[in-house]
Amino acid sequence: MPPRLSRRLAQLPLHFGAIQAQLTTQNAVPIRAFGIRSLNPPKHSKFNDGPDLPILKSSPAAALERKANTLPLRTGAIAIKNGMTAIFDPDTGKRIPCTVLQLDRVQVIAHKTVDVHGYYAVQMGAGWKHPSNVTKALLGHYSGQGVSPKRHVYEFRVKDRSGLLPVGELVSADWFQEGQYVDARSNTKGKGFAGVMKRHGFGGQDRSHGVSLTHRSLGSAGPSQGGGSRVYPGKKMAGNMGNEQNTVQNLKILKVDAENGLVLVNGSVSGPKGCVVRIQDSIKKPWPKIPETIVEALT
Amino acid sequence: MASFSQLTRQLGCLRLSAKPQQSAFQVRTISTTYTPKPAAVPFPAKLPKQFLNQIPVRYHPHAPKKIKVHPPPPSARDACKDPIAAVRESQLAVLDPTGERKALFDYRRSRRSVKVGDIVRVTFKNGDPFSGVCLSIKLQGVDTSCLLRNELTRVGVEMSVKVFSPNVESVEIVQRAEKRKRRARLYYMRQPRHDMRSVENIVSNYLRQKSAVTGQRTSYGKRR
Repeated sequence: MPPRLSRRLAQLPLHFGAIQAQLTTQNAVPIRAFGIRSLNPPKHSKFNDGPDLPILKSSPAAALERKANTLPLRTGAIAIKNGMTAIFDPDTGKRIPCTVLQLDRVQVIAHKTVDVHGYYAVQMGAGWKHPSNVTKALLGHYSGQGVSPKRHVYEFRVKDRSGLLPVGELVSADWFQEGQYVDARSNTKGKGFAGVMKRHGFGGQDRSHGVSLTHRSLGSAGPSQGGGSRVYPGKKMAGNMGNEQNTVQNLKILKVDAENGLVLVNGSVSGPKGCVVRIQDSIKKPWPKIPETIVEALT
Repeated sequence: MASFSQLTRQLGCLRLSAKPQQSAFQVRTISTTYTPKPAAVPFPAKLPKQFLNQIPVRYHPHAPKKIKVHPPPPSARDACKDPIAAVRESQLAVLDPTGERKALFDYRRSRRSVKVGDIVRVTFKNGDPFSGVCLSIKLQGVDTSCLLRNELTRVGVEMSVKVFSPNVESVEIVQRAEKRKRRARLYYMRQPRHDMRSVENIVSNYLRQKSAVTGQRTSYGKRR
């Protein structure tokens, strides 16, 4: 049953004094305001902020400035790892192990800019996805840019506006040159739930000498009363291993086949066959010199 | 109560046949009665605005258009279904244009090929020959290799030779195995009981005969 006001309270006679008070407030001429008023009007800052002051280290502008030297000048590409083989150098006869990567319909989808998003990046897509498997919102995103629906979508950060390749531009294998260096970013092979010996290289415990049932487990998880009687954050324990992003830096490009979209990269790349690999100009090597013909074709 | 005559009572069984027969379709219960789908009634052409929210959005006069899906560009994956094979073929075209070396080791297909148990002599570009018993042949495209075992200075030595390497100048079969080996990998020959020890005598014999036939001197002296 809902609570009801008691009869005595409901029939309480009105106080004459209360009505008088209301009348007095009505007599004061109020200023009528139009439009929306801010509840928090701008106040004078008590901090020292002005146009001439140095930018704070923790600000986005400072972060961009710090990053400027380690951001590639141009976008990378999404590739599929096909497996490993080797090529022989015909002159020296040296065998060079290599990973075969394939670029399939890699296209620029969108841009991210400092004004809107706070950084410069190129959104790239690869492969093809059936439109019926794409949500309507995402389909609108692709169609608005004039690009077919993509299977894989990733972002590549670039240093400044000049690195933003026009939307819809196809990036084929000859985007990379033979002899240049790239960084390959991909997910490692998943190992499932792994123990500490496999996951962190712990030594395990003795086979015998009284050890019972804990031959492969970790020893102590932390100090006792002196150390706070707790397990410290970040303690290495058993858990899921692998299937996490890994970057292999400074891989030399041995061969490029634009027709088949193949890029042969020296050495190995993380992940199983068929995984997605993002390759971009190596940040620890000098930027590759792009032939002028390619630059002209793009601009 | 008037009773039926004897005759009509007997004729009563004919009543069932006299009745018009009903088809199975007509005697269905009401729950399964078929009602045809009513024909769609078109919406009035000029519907007042306040009724628009009663009809589906796609029938509104300014309904959102269907999203245009752009066709994909030509696919590199369709052009090259097996990139590893493509790389392998392009490499073999350079390293082994005649296909001779491939046939020499493709023991699954060619009968004249090297087989495990054979004694093989390999000469390298730098002039160093190596000979030994073939313990295994790994067929891996450009990476095809064979494992040769010999004994040098009374120490067992094994060498894995990348067959398509440009450093491998020639591969000769010195002696065939007496019987076909029943294993693909003759790792048991590392055991002292099965070890063939040095094959140098057999190889030097072969080289002597070869030089007698061809009348040329071979690079016998450089052999270790």
